[in-house]
Amino acid sequence: MPAMPHSPLPLPLFSARPAPPRRSWQDHKERECRRAVRLWRRAERRSAPGKTGPGRAGATRPMLPAGCGRRVAAALLAALGEGAERRRELEQWAARSRALLQRWGSEEDEQLHPDPGSSDGQENRPSPKELEELELLNKALEKALKVRKSILKTPLEAQGATGEKSVGEGPPPKNAGEQQVPVPVEGVPESAKVRAVSKKPAAVKKPYQLRAPYRTDPDVKKLQRRAPARCVSQGPRTAGKSSSKGATCKQGRSHRTAISTSDRGACAAAEPQKTPVLCRSALNQQQSFSIGDSARGKNSVAAGRQLLDAGKKSCCSLGESSQNENPAVEGVLGGSTSPRTVTLQEKGCQLKLPHPYRKAYSRNSRAWERCHLCQTSADAAAARNRFIEKIQTTFCSPMPAFSPAEIEEELKVLQDVPSLLSQYVEAEPADYPTLQREYESLLTLEGLQTVVSQCLHKLQLLQTAVESQRRLRPDCAGDVGSCSPACVPLRGQTCASAGVLAVPLLCYSSFQELRDLFALKLQVSMLHQEIALQKVMMAELLPVLESRCYPEASAAQLYRATYTQLCEGGKRFPVLVRDELTD
Amino acid sequence: MRPVRACRGGKRRSAMRRQPREQQQSGRVLPGAVGALCRALPSRARPAPDTLRRARFDRPQASLDFWRLLYALLKQIHGGKWAESDAIGNQIRFVKSTLWYHGYGRPELYRLPSDGSAGSRELLLAFSWLLHRLSLLEQLLARNRVKTGDEASVCTCEDDLPNSQKGPTEIAPEYGPEDRVDVRYLQWLNGRLRFQWRSLHAQHQEQCKLLYKIHLFTSGSHMDKTLGHFSVTETDLIRQPGNYKQLLQLLESETMQLEAFLEWKQREPVYWQWMETVLDNMAEEGNPCESQDAHVERSGLPEVTSCCPWADSLTEHIGRLSRDLMTLRDQLQKLVMHRKAAWCEKVKTRKEELQKEGFPATARKIQESVELKLQDLTCLCAPRKNRAHGSCRLVLRSEHPVSKSGWGRSVSQEPVPAASAAEVIRELQMREASLGRELKQLREECRQRLDQIAEGLDGVICVSP
Repeated sequence: MPAMPHSPLPLPLFSARPAPPRRSWQDHKERECRRAVRLWRRAERRSAPGKTGPGRAGATRPMLPAGCGRRVAAALLAALGEGAERRRELEQWAARSRALLQRWGSEEDEQLHPDPGSSDGQENRPSPKELEELELLNKALEKALKVRKSILKTPLEAQGATGEKSVGEGPPPKNAGEQQVPVPVEGVPESAKVRAVSKKPAAVKKPYQLRAPYRTDPDVKKLQRRAPARCVSQGPRTAGKSSSKGATCKQGRSHRTAISTSDRGACAAAEPQKTPVLCRSALNQQQSFSIGDSARGKNSVAAGRQLLDAGKKSCCSLGESSQNENPAVEGVLGGSTSPRTVTLQEKGCQLKLPHPYRKAYSRNSRAWERCHLCQTSADAAAARNRFIEKIQTTFCSPMPAFSPAEIEEELKVLQDVPSLLSQYVEAEPADYPTLQREYESLLTLEGLQTVVSQCLHKLQLLQTAVESQRRLRPDCAGDVGSCSPACVPLRGQTCASAGVLAVPLLCYSSFQELRDLFALKLQVSMLHQEIALQKVMMAELLPVLESRCYPEASAAQLYRATYTQLCEGGKRFPVLVRDELTD
Repeated sequence: MRPVRACRGGKRRSAMRRQPREQQQSGRVLPGAVGALCRALPSRARPAPDTLRRARFDRPQASLDFWRLLYALLKQIHGGKWAESDAIGNQIRFVKSTLWYHGYGRPELYRLPSDGSAGSRELLLAFSWLLHRLSLLEQLLARNRVKTGDEASVCTCEDDLPNSQKGPTEIAPEYGPEDRVDVRYLQWLNGRLRFQWRSLHAQHQEQCKLLYKIHLFTSGSHMDKTLGHFSVTETDLIRQPGNYKQLLQLLESETMQLEAFLEWKQREPVYWQWMETVLDNMAEEGNPCESQDAHVERSGLPEVTSCCPWADSLTEHIGRLSRDLMTLRDQLQKLVMHRKAAWCEKVKTRKEELQKEGFPATARKIQESVELKLQDLTCLCAPRKNRAHGSCRLVLRSEHPVSKSGWGRSVSQEPVPAASAAEVIRELQMREASLGRELKQLREECRQRLDQIAEGLDGVICVSP
């Protein structure tokens, strides 16, 4: 597990033997590192707890000058704000989709079947170590849950029985709130995080998704505090809810039945090994969203029904409520006879869009298709080109070879070339089994050389064009100082998809592919942000350190923090050794 | 469109004398073409056909309308927030610099007064130029497409955009010396940010799961066989059709717009002929502001030293790429030299042996295969016109023909361009690698500078992790 960036740990500054000169350190970095750690441990043992040594950063806080500190903080906060916005949007979207998957009652089958296919590979990010910790944490949560559950069960059940309405008003039953489609964002910004995290049932099997190793993050603290409480309140509440008939509210509640049946242990029997650690009631709750994964869907239906029947026997009143299906849904689904089989999963392929929409859609897509196939007549093209040529002769001459938009477009194409080319170069091995391979490699390298020179030439042309465009740019000279933001559409043309008139499709063939796609897209945006922030921090923090305009006492701390931030992305710390024996 | 004919002035008549047949013809057809053009423009910026007619006569009343029209259209293309009520000065500045951005070079346009009081004909020309150069209509239609599907963008263009306007300098007001910032606060913020990314990742994964299920469960239901399945919106529409009245309206108005576009494509020639005469007339009239040219030229071509963040940032970008490539070039040069020497040596010593084995023939084959390999590479380095951009409708399509009934068949004959996820993933991976490299370089640069700083710290030795 990487070091925790939030914990303002006291600096491990300590006395040490005089170190070898700096340059040789690079070579023996690893050995030295180990030595430093050894020394540090020894120093730790020596110093009594609570006693602050001379090197320790007791009173001095590593402060940055206001201007630069604020600017960095502002950049970070802006990034956080952006992310929060994205999360809110995603959350609303997910709530809507979840509702779709639940509404038609498919949960009965599925919820009893925590879907094992979906649990693997979901957490491809955290390291095994982190997962271990998570496990431990979840064990603790489970314990807490057990204790609380025994205390809270009775009163909440009573509350549930009083009626469906009260549920919506109580502390929001996040995961059970499938009807309140877009869950409103409430309270402190942090709570959004907590909520969203705990709402990630389909994606993560561990209900609270305590993934990040930030114990000192207040968000996580909150999460840890809140999660057990929610978990507790949910189990009993759903049980209570399901006892009220589905008729009380418009939408069918059949899935609640399933939740409670599984509460009663049916689920535990079904998939015990899949979910070893977590508190079961909450887990089942969560899994109500993860309606079977594709491949195993059908199998689990049958098994699930058996379990459901078993569950019904064990509590017939709940079984009743499951039959009390929503007639409206039935209507839409085309008069299915057995309400229990009305699921998106089972009936999804028979759904029909409403007539007015079908009509509008077909007209619309026909129109798109006609536009797509429509071509400019030769007549029109000729007239148009005459006009365009004529008008372009009136342009101020000489016009630069590339317009600013074209420069950007060309650069966009070139931006990945260095990395791509180095990959090619690295792929060429140093020695070869055969002469043929060696020859091939030589030719490839020579070819790469040509490509590199071509690209460099292109870049030169582009740079020339940039300079001439700079001169042509309107209005800039008029404004004192700099371009006003109003005259900067710059880099604004998001994806010009010129001329292609069609509803574009993006085809994917498997769940895995879809997941990879989204993960990569996110990764790319994250890298973009990281680079932008890195640049801001470089511009702000490095000059502070270089100019030494900070209190001497906090120098080491400041240095360490900056180092972590700038060179390690906040993930690892350097070790600072105070070399005091030279005195 | 009677008023068009009624208002035709003397100049127009003289033009008619020159090309009587053509003009008479366009007299009938032109209003239809202009009308179709206007209707094909997005409703939020739709001009009255009269505006174009007035502009043709350079009526000052039309100039404000025209600035607004161009502002609205260009803002839609550049995806910024805007309102009709934006200050006209800003609108004009925006339009001017956007035209510059796209390479429009008529100096007359850039000299138009910034209060929008004149120049409607000049603007009409610019509009027509944009119409062709940017495929204005097509782009706007594609961009404002009513989205009924589950959309995912296939490019990373949005990420390339700078993070909003609020640069750090703008936010930070004055602070006293007491307002110092604890560096640990920054670290804490950074940690939160990283945590947020993790959460976002998890959310995205859930999104995929939900999407996939809805797509899978509804496969075969959609009447559009190229799609096969419903989107989330459509599934929701089945559930509660009442909520989607607006969507229906939007679809219908889009259909009308598309039909107007088709009509425009039919009548287009006459419009371009018309534009040509407008341009000719302007040339005939000569430049009324010829006398002002001297002083205007100056503002048209500001001094080189003028600050331009756009140029600066591009120069930086180009510089970085060039440095990378030059490093690579040097590396390659050494490598090739070395290899070549070794190769020549080998060939010399084993000449006969190679001849016997028929190496020359093999060599040709190798050359061909290498050429092929490098062709792929140059393809990647060349601008791809048909490269997928913008947001697409996500469609699940199993590659294995599992279900014969339904969508498996229609794939081949579809007219719609479809990007494949695998392709997009490949591009994203490339992007990821390149960005990762950039970040690594930046960090390396920091490390060097910090190492230097560490040397200046008294009695402290830094052991990097």
